[in-house]
Amino acid sequence: MDWTEILRFSRGPLFHFSLIIFIAGMIYRLVRIIFLGWEKDRVKNQGSKWSGVIISYLKGLIILPFIPWVRRTFRNNALTFIAGGLFHLSLFLVLIFGEAHILVWQSLFGVSWAPLPNPIVDWLAAVGIISLIILLINRLTHPVLRLLTKLPVWINWTLVFLPFVTGYIMYHHLWFPYEVIFSLHLIFVCLLLIWIPFSRMSHFLFYFFSRTIHGARAGKRAVSP
Amino acid sequence: MKTASALNTYLKETGGWVAAQLEACTRCGICAEACHFYQALGNPEYAPVWKLEPLRRAYEQRFTLAGKLKLALGMEKRLTDSDLEHWSQIVYEACTVCDKCAFVCPMGIEIGPLIHKVRTGLAAAGLVPGNLAEATDKQKTIGSPLGVTDEMWRERIDWITDEWEADIPVDKAGAETLMVFTSIELMKFPDNLAFIAKILTQAGENWTVSSKGREVVNFGFFEADEELTRLFMHRVFQAAEELGVKRIVISECGHAYEAFRWTAANIMKVPPGLEIIHITELIHQYWKSGRIKIKEGAFDGETITFHDSCKIQRLGGLINQPREILQVLAPTSFKEMTPNKEQSMCCGGGGGVISIKEADSNRYAVFEMKLEQLQDIQAQGVCMTCSNCRLQFVDSLAHFNSTIKVHSLAELVAKALI
Repeated sequence: MDWTEILRFSRGPLFHFSLIIFIAGMIYRLVRIIFLGWEKDRVKNQGSKWSGVIISYLKGLIILPFIPWVRRTFRNNALTFIAGGLFHLSLFLVLIFGEAHILVWQSLFGVSWAPLPNPIVDWLAAVGIISLIILLINRLTHPVLRLLTKLPVWINWTLVFLPFVTGYIMYHHLWFPYEVIFSLHLIFVCLLLIWIPFSRMSHFLFYFFSRTIHGARAGKRAVSP
Repeated sequence: MKTASALNTYLKETGGWVAAQLEACTRCGICAEACHFYQALGNPEYAPVWKLEPLRRAYEQRFTLAGKLKLALGMEKRLTDSDLEHWSQIVYEACTVCDKCAFVCPMGIEIGPLIHKVRTGLAAAGLVPGNLAEATDKQKTIGSPLGVTDEMWRERIDWITDEWEADIPVDKAGAETLMVFTSIELMKFPDNLAFIAKILTQAGENWTVSSKGREVVNFGFFEADEELTRLFMHRVFQAAEELGVKRIVISECGHAYEAFRWTAANIMKVPPGLEIIHITELIHQYWKSGRIKIKEGAFDGETITFHDSCKIQRLGGLINQPREILQVLAPTSFKEMTPNKEQSMCCGGGGGVISIKEADSNRYAVFEMKLEQLQDIQAQGVCMTCSNCRLQFVDSLAHFNSTIKVHSLAELVAKALI
């Protein structure tokens, strides 16, 4: 097989095709939800909806991910909180501040920024991979998660794990010729991009709906979300 | 047939608000640890997110590509009658719609109101547990879930008036405030009516009770049957309009407060200009403005704590008002349970659970955790602002042979009036 040819295909047409599916799919999902209709709230406020929404995001984005132990439920869910939190941290930092990824952003948007030092990104990627493995074990053993987990969730896990692991192998030049592992990395990323709009991985978008709804509801009733 | 009615209801109820939140769920399972039923009994099916399954399946199979695909590939089945019967047990007997899960969910999904919608579908399918359905039917036909007839109600009010020398005006024309009590208070805690009457009289309130709008409890809301929810509130609103009052005061009842204060305006016509407040708020206003005076330290000595009711504190926002009063009544012996305020744990009797015989073992199992919280701070008394919680406390404390005393806020305030 000619891996140079496969690499050229996967970093070009395949990647662009996947991006289009991803973006179009997410827009479809978004529009679909918006046009399902929203009822007007006619109940008198007790507190401020806006302040509730702001506190809701401060808690959701800053307090809970970094100091989760403020929540009592943390104790019984430490694994989900820590591994889940570290995974997301690793995902965002590697994706946005990895040197090779910045080149991709530059080719897409024409802007670039300073990368994190490679060793740090490397460690972060390792943290992400380990977190994913811990989350998998947790999902296989926790009775509630076993009840909730159906085939799509396993696919989610696999399609997130593969780009992580191939990226890591590629960076360390392990086992595979460069073209092969680079192609595999890209192919898995493309599969992931295509899969997102069809799965619960789209939660990155609906997060902003639910967090706003919760914040507004709590703020309206003058309680802390 | 049952499934069809439930499905129709689910699809009707599924707007953007419901769909966006169902989509946001990442299946992380954290909500399970928020649920006192799961914590106490360990059944994974009691995880709040699992309680939403019927709604989620109805939504996905009808509105989403993924859902249709799963159906076509046989990965997921359509809802059946036996599915719904199964979920009827889960959402009515192992959920108090306390909504603690919403405050724990990392995505902020409002699981409580969504479970309410699951109940709506089950109610449409006629799958409400027997005891709950019977009580609801009594409220529909007789006017009270405890079967209090008009005549019994009058006799009872007269008796309370005599027994505690309370002044309770009935159907008083020209009154400004309509006070609506619960049947639980009337039959099980009659002194609470007297205590509230005493406070209102002391404050110089121009108030009345109504013989037509005499029940504030809403079993339609427990069942989540929207038609009945409206009917039961309509009776009170109609009475308020006939009497020409300016405001309705909800007695110590959580679900009623949720229904009247936070739901009514969105599902029915509320008489314009009518104010709806909870008795806790009113007592606090009286005290703040000096219309009533309470004796400082009247209950100092025995350790007393406050139980946060889901619908009045966590969801009603009346968190500081009762605490401010308790700190005056028992400045040195008032102690907080952990967790408290928004994060407090439900007593286990709300959401109609206490009226379902089959749910008794669940209810006691949950209360055991509450009892531990009380014992952790060596509480000798516990105060609350919801008669439904109070019923659960009185019944369960007796079940566990505990001597902890249960008080309503109105009771403590009335006893400390100067």
